[in-house]
Amino acid sequence: MSTDAPVHVTRTRSGKPATFLEAIAEALWEEMERDERVFLMGEDIGAYGGAFKVTRGFIERFGASRVIDTPISEGGFTGAAAGAAHMGLRPVVEMQFMDFISPAYDVLTNYVATSLYRGAGPLPLVVRGPVGGGNRGGPFHSQNVEMAFFHTPGLKIVYPSTPADAKGLLKSAIRDDDPVIFEEHKGLYRAPHCRELLPQQDHVVPIGRARTALEGEDLTIVTYGLMVHRSLEAAAELARDRIRVEVIDLRTLLPLDEETIVASVRKTGKLLIVHEDTRTGGIAGEIAMRVNERAFEWLDGPILRVTAIDSPVPFSGELEDFFLPSVADVVTAGRYLSRY
Amino acid sequence: MSRDEIEDLLYQGYQGRRLEEGVRRSGFLQWPEHAVGIDTRSIVISRTMKHAVDGRGDLCCPGPMSPGPALAFGATPLEFLRQLAHRGTSPAAARAGGLSWTDLRRGLIGWDGPPGMMTQVLAGAALAFAQRGENRAALVFESEKALDTGGWHEGLNFAAARRVPIIVVLVASGSAGVGRVRQIEEVARAYGIKAVTIDQDSHAGIFATLRGARRRAALGGGPTLVALEGATDDRWQSHEEFASWALTEGHVTEGELESIRRAAAAGVDHAFARIVKEPGPEPHDALAAVRIGSPPLRPWTRLKSPRPDGVAEAPMEGPSVN
Repeated sequence: MSTDAPVHVTRTRSGKPATFLEAIAEALWEEMERDERVFLMGEDIGAYGGAFKVTRGFIERFGASRVIDTPISEGGFTGAAAGAAHMGLRPVVEMQFMDFISPAYDVLTNYVATSLYRGAGPLPLVVRGPVGGGNRGGPFHSQNVEMAFFHTPGLKIVYPSTPADAKGLLKSAIRDDDPVIFEEHKGLYRAPHCRELLPQQDHVVPIGRARTALEGEDLTIVTYGLMVHRSLEAAAELARDRIRVEVIDLRTLLPLDEETIVASVRKTGKLLIVHEDTRTGGIAGEIAMRVNERAFEWLDGPILRVTAIDSPVPFSGELEDFFLPSVADVVTAGRYLSRY
Repeated sequence: MSRDEIEDLLYQGYQGRRLEEGVRRSGFLQWPEHAVGIDTRSIVISRTMKHAVDGRGDLCCPGPMSPGPALAFGATPLEFLRQLAHRGTSPAAARAGGLSWTDLRRGLIGWDGPPGMMTQVLAGAALAFAQRGENRAALVFESEKALDTGGWHEGLNFAAARRVPIIVVLVASGSAGVGRVRQIEEVARAYGIKAVTIDQDSHAGIFATLRGARRRAALGGGPTLVALEGATDDRWQSHEEFASWALTEGHVTEGELESIRRAAAAGVDHAFARIVKEPGPEPHDALAAVRIGSPPLRPWTRLKSPRPDGVAEAPMEGPSVN
């Protein structure tokens, strides 16, 4: 890493734990230094350093041709990123908030996702940005967008829960020849409990592999993103009832690591799926179906889910707290399921 | 125009005409015959670009309906017909239809998506040329309907803001919104880019104008917006008139012209004869390029009865076909 790197991309090198946001910045910085084909596009990411300051200091180091401030036109600049990717560059597009990805839905699903299939070759393109609620951002700054893209063949979807995974998975995403939607939960960006010393020496985490965040024998919780932390808290509480919970952190939603899920369910016989995204059409439905196909005989109870309610994300704190899945919700569902 | 360029134009123009006639007569190619109308002016425009076969030339996205620009970028009649007939041997392996497909070595990028989207994509490709300091430019043909889409304006705005080397040709669609291309000077002024309305009636004039636009783009002059008015307008020089002009001006002899015409016709006729015998794609080819996130198909997702002994890890069954 160059000596002129800003503080927030050298936290671990200075011996201090890095935040989730700093891990994202470090991955971007390292990949831009490693490969001159990598460049960034997004709204206010240059001189302003991005809405969350992920790219603060980048334009000074890499220049305006590799840190491109775009017009406010997510569809237009995502389409342009696709064209640049066709020509051998490796664009990383920042959505200021992932809620704003919807204008780019057309080009991502109709053009980018189908490129390889149509014989137009791979499109190495990353679209990353903040997702999730809890920040009182209301309906347009708090959504989870994964299921809008989940059923589109040709895309990958990554949603890490720890700084080390965020760094390693983002580096993998940038090096991947397929388009990747990369979701970063805002609630993790600067969370005090979510700081760690980041692995150095070109740390990459393979896309498509879940990790076992906690081993247990009685009940499997499959989850991702911020809900991994909620689920671990719930698991600690359930442990006081002698319910040993296994927590699977998906890390990648597409392709889904079916093997790890099925192996865990075959071990525990019980499955609870926890996601912050809304309930209907959430990923819990797909996971339940796959477990039904491959581990039906091993199940000792119904597959349950804890999710946000089917509503736009509310603005008021009281309403949003009611809307979002809580540790108590997970504990209640875990206790209920453990009685089967 | 050089003599070689004139001969190439004549050859590709005859190829286009023969393709049109063949498709109309074939009876088995499911494509609206007007859609194969090859406007030779689009070939002329495309000939002004830098052509290569190693991926280092200019980049062109033909419009959704006209294969003319692709001919100029080295596509063959056989490839067109395989695409139209959905043969497994087609450039897109029958997984995507249409008259344009992607072959980046030859500088072809397939049209896919609603009007306006390809202006976004080509603007990004042109950005890559500019970033690398390459002497390359992008050319995209859009229906004038693109003027009504937000996507096209976003793409053009991006191209203008970054001053990338791109030429955007708006082709009069002959349907709703006809005549809109005449607004392009206002549009170009709003974006701070250059506009060209093709007002010459000769292929040579169009060639000179567009070559200038291409040179300007490659020198950092930014995008050019081009209006191409209706193909049926009799003010425009037809391919036959262009051939007469070449003859009159002494660029070709009567014998050479006939030789070019026969060679073009022979190539197209040979292509028709070949595709009639070629099979369609294999059903399993439908999944050949899907490599992300697809769980294995299990027997009960198909019409065959489930195999009781193989429910967990049964081999994938092929899709049923008519």
